[in-house]
Amino acid sequence: MALGLNLNTSNGGKDFLPIVKFDARSGRMFRRDRVNGENEEVDITKTFKAVVDFENLEIGYINFNTGSAPDFQMMPHGSSMPEKPSPDHKQGVRFTLKLHADCGGDVREMASNARSFLQGVDNLHNDYVVGSAKNAGKLPVVVLSDTVPVVSGEGSKRTTNYSPVFEIIGWVKRPDGLGEAAQAVEKKATPPTTGGNKVVGPAKKMALDEDDFG
Amino acid sequence: MKNPFEKFEIEHLSPSSCNLFVASPAAFVMQKVLGKRSSVGAAAHRGTAVESGIAFALNSNGDVHGAIDVAKKEFDRLTSLSTDPRQDKEASSLADMVIIGYKELAGYGKPSSMQGKIEYKVDGLLVPMIGFYDFEWEQHGVLVDLKTTHALPSKISTNHARQVALYVAARGDNLDARITYVTSKKSATYELENKREHVDALGRIALTIQRFLSITDDPYELASLIAPDVDSFYFGDQQSRQQAFDIWGL
Repeated sequence: MALGLNLNTSNGGKDFLPIVKFDARSGRMFRRDRVNGENEEVDITKTFKAVVDFENLEIGYINFNTGSAPDFQMMPHGSSMPEKPSPDHKQGVRFTLKLHADCGGDVREMASNARSFLQGVDNLHNDYVVGSAKNAGKLPVVVLSDTVPVVSGEGSKRTTNYSPVFEIIGWVKRPDGLGEAAQAVEKKATPPTTGGNKVVGPAKKMALDEDDFG
Repeated sequence: MKNPFEKFEIEHLSPSSCNLFVASPAAFVMQKVLGKRSSVGAAAHRGTAVESGIAFALNSNGDVHGAIDVAKKEFDRLTSLSTDPRQDKEASSLADMVIIGYKELAGYGKPSSMQGKIEYKVDGLLVPMIGFYDFEWEQHGVLVDLKTTHALPSKISTNHARQVALYVAARGDNLDARITYVTSKKSATYELENKREHVDALGRIALTIQRFLSITDDPYELASLIAPDVDSFYFGDQQSRQQAFDIWGL
């Protein structure tokens, strides 16, 4: 398994980037735009074409059901998986991409912990690993060529989701903006300082101030 | 979500219980989950006694002799059944610490409140965080926690930062948070930085405890997931050391 995710046992965004999402239940790809303070989802299933930054792919655990912002516990691909923070966290991936001008033209984030989506990304990543050997320093241009149904459960619990079938149609140098996004993604917060500046009480301070005037 | 604290009769968390979990998960399990009591060392009682003395001095316009007397009586009361061999050493430092500490804080005047209880709700945490701050001067917008020690630190420790940050978050973020360290020879008051980040850190620790307690209803199964460092401070007294051996065979 190229991504190191165990897709057979369990299901597996950065906040400051707009997102692209794949709805596994409908098999549609959407670009989420912010319009007049409201989220607006634009269907780009037919036109999806993007340079995918797999150099900065992250894997880990994601909880989208927090009631507020999703919780990501991610590590760069190639590192060990982080510890699963809670039963609500599922294995997932996160990466950035730059949409082709026909479907948006900007840098976005994509993240999911849906098993059917992860399967499609895993296949794409396998292709990426093979192709990158002959395309050093370049990133893949990816289209969504199809979606395939994935049936799970039985009886009343039978559900159908759709797995994306991605295809690499070319390789390009890292486009403008995507590198900056990757750097932003990698920007790490540092531990907060506690404080080592001495302060004095008000009366003491007053006395010191008076001393200053001689 | 089922409240994992209920089964262990834990009604709240505090900065000290969170710090205990961070420093020694085994000691946390022993004390909070299995309910084993551990001895409080003479050093901890020294802190309480010195604080009582300084509080007296601040509220009596500097009656330092009376303050020392208050501190000594409080220390004697707290340690009346103690077998800690460091008791005499701690007792001998009380007077100097009260004097040094009072001088450090006298400039603030009479506190507007002392030993105030705070309660703080962490998102997702199924019990409240509670605590008690030492001194607040509303007139100056300052909250101070007092720490007695034999070696003056050059900055605030992370554990202390989290503790005082929580107090201020509960009291109102417009307060300046400060920590006064007092030894028997000198003192220093440091201003806390990054209050919000330290509160957030404490919240993450509390949620870690919640997840840990959610693993099982069996306290001994929880204990079996960790092992104590019996050389640590937390197992330094004979009672705690024996309890660790009884629980873990270590």
